[in-house]
Amino acid sequence: MDADPALTPDSGHDRRAVSRDCRVVESRRFGAFSLLSLASAEIAARAVPGQFIMVGVPGGRFLLRRPISLHSVDGERVRLLVEARGEGSAVLAAAEVGDTLPLAGPLGSGFRLDGVRAALLVAGGIGAAPLQFVADELVAAEVPVVGAFGFRDAAQARLVGAFEIDPLWVASDDGSLGKRGTVVDLLDTIDVPDGATVFACGPAAMVAALAPWVAARGLRGYASLEAHMACGAGACHGCVVPTRAGYRRVCADGPVFALDDLETSSPPDPLAAGEAS
Amino acid sequence: MSAGEQARGGLEPDLSVELGPMRLPHPVLNASGTFDLLEAAARYEGDLVAELPFAAYVPKTVTLEPREGNPPPRVTETAAGMINSVGLQNPGLEAFLPDLSRLAALTAPVIVNVGGSRPDDYVTVVERLEEWLDGRRTGEGPDVSGYELNISCPNVATGLAIGADAAATADLVARVKAATKRFVMAKLTPNVTSVVEVALAAQAAGADGLSLVNTFKALVLDGETLRPFLGGVTGGLCGPAIKPIALRMVAEVAGAVRVPVVGMGGIASGRDALEFVACGATAVQVGAANFAGIDAPRRIVAELGNEMRRRGIASLAQVRGRAALPMRA
Repeated sequence: MDADPALTPDSGHDRRAVSRDCRVVESRRFGAFSLLSLASAEIAARAVPGQFIMVGVPGGRFLLRRPISLHSVDGERVRLLVEARGEGSAVLAAAEVGDTLPLAGPLGSGFRLDGVRAALLVAGGIGAAPLQFVADELVAAEVPVVGAFGFRDAAQARLVGAFEIDPLWVASDDGSLGKRGTVVDLLDTIDVPDGATVFACGPAAMVAALAPWVAARGLRGYASLEAHMACGAGACHGCVVPTRAGYRRVCADGPVFALDDLETSSPPDPLAAGEAS
Repeated sequence: MSAGEQARGGLEPDLSVELGPMRLPHPVLNASGTFDLLEAAARYEGDLVAELPFAAYVPKTVTLEPREGNPPPRVTETAAGMINSVGLQNPGLEAFLPDLSRLAALTAPVIVNVGGSRPDDYVTVVERLEEWLDGRRTGEGPDVSGYELNISCPNVATGLAIGADAAATADLVARVKAATKRFVMAKLTPNVTSVVEVALAAQAAGADGLSLVNTFKALVLDGETLRPFLGGVTGGLCGPAIKPIALRMVAEVAGAVRVPVVGMGGIASGRDALEFVACGATAVQVGAANFAGIDAPRRIVAELGNEMRRRGIASLAQVRGRAALPMRA
């Protein structure tokens, strides 16, 4: 576990989260996805790739904040890629320039980028969100980056418009864009730089399929995981995922985990024992 | 509001309360498991330990042995609330004690929330904590002023085996009281026919206070598969959706017992907190509202002051119990 920054202050640069109402300064739409730019010099200065923001849903109808990955940082702005998936995220995705959203962040562990000589960025659907920030940092450090994104269909693939990663390979389950199949199928068809570190984000099934692919090639891989969250700050233990060391909190122990630490087999059906066969 | 009450609006209201041996500057505590002080202080700017927004700190339930908790998913939002099935995941007492030591700078009192798989576990945890508290050096950890017995978690077996059974509750309270001189309150479940019956049994067994309500056992489905959404199948419902039921139960219990009552259930504003006091609560706990933002408790305390000022209420004692319900035969 990482050192506790509150009790072991390091360089004096406070990277801890702030809680602020922040103004939307730009909103770009890609189908059901919105790329929101929000003004927060504090979050922009503190954030590292892989971290997330707890975003309050305006309007008073929703109790819980939504955990949203940092897509990228640009000067004194932070960008969040939001998918209108449920009622709460639909409200967030509809945010307009001039609106104010309550942000708390940056939260969670980031991807460790030091020592990375080449990178393969692997995403499924909205999981792509944090990988632009990874690419930006690595490209600035002149580290070669290859992207491979998988989508369900053409509608979901519209979010490609929110990314500037080169080269970026694409697959879709229905073949409507790029190679037909999953993103892991796609990986076998592209040139992966020798010794690349794999940075992944996507649904559990994608992460489960990716882990053996990475292990078989002797690469190091990390995944940023998604989970339903309540507190976002390590209190409630609501967002856990199974790991080889037991349940770990996505918000506080993650969201970034080493692929070989994750327990990727699916859990038993909780109702199965009580059902007639 | 009359013109006279308006004029008194300038008075600075007194929010202080006494909860057993604790003199608190205001009545707002956190509900166990919804705010982790060490985790929050590590993650958020400022110094939350020195400037705790709560009048007392209730850590997440500690059990004798580590508990893995229930399979995910464990939480989701519901209409005006949320449901959880965490199952008391915690690292156990041995890992809890060093964390308690790390709160030495905390000036607010700590109320240790204790859980267990069987009655003996609760007693053992309290006995070991007492030994640890007696043996520690000055300045090693904060002021532990009392215990809250979690006999009401709907996601573990004891939530109904003890908390829904008046005799089992009384037996446990009596055994814990024999193990400590500190303030002991029992946290009651709403998943019973008569919460008053359990409350009276706990009081008769020596409980110094009662806190209520824990979450309501509930079920949410996955909208696509029409199967239970939570890994633990059922969960506990909390948030504003349960507030009117919680108010009724607090009003009934406060009308029936002599010991102080700590009210909770959907408190999201200062007015909510004041309503619980009017139903007879001495103090309140904020749970799900903590998830709305780290600023929520400070806002609720400020709003409570504003609500009192606006109504010309000088102290909480002035309205406490105004809406408590007399016990029916």
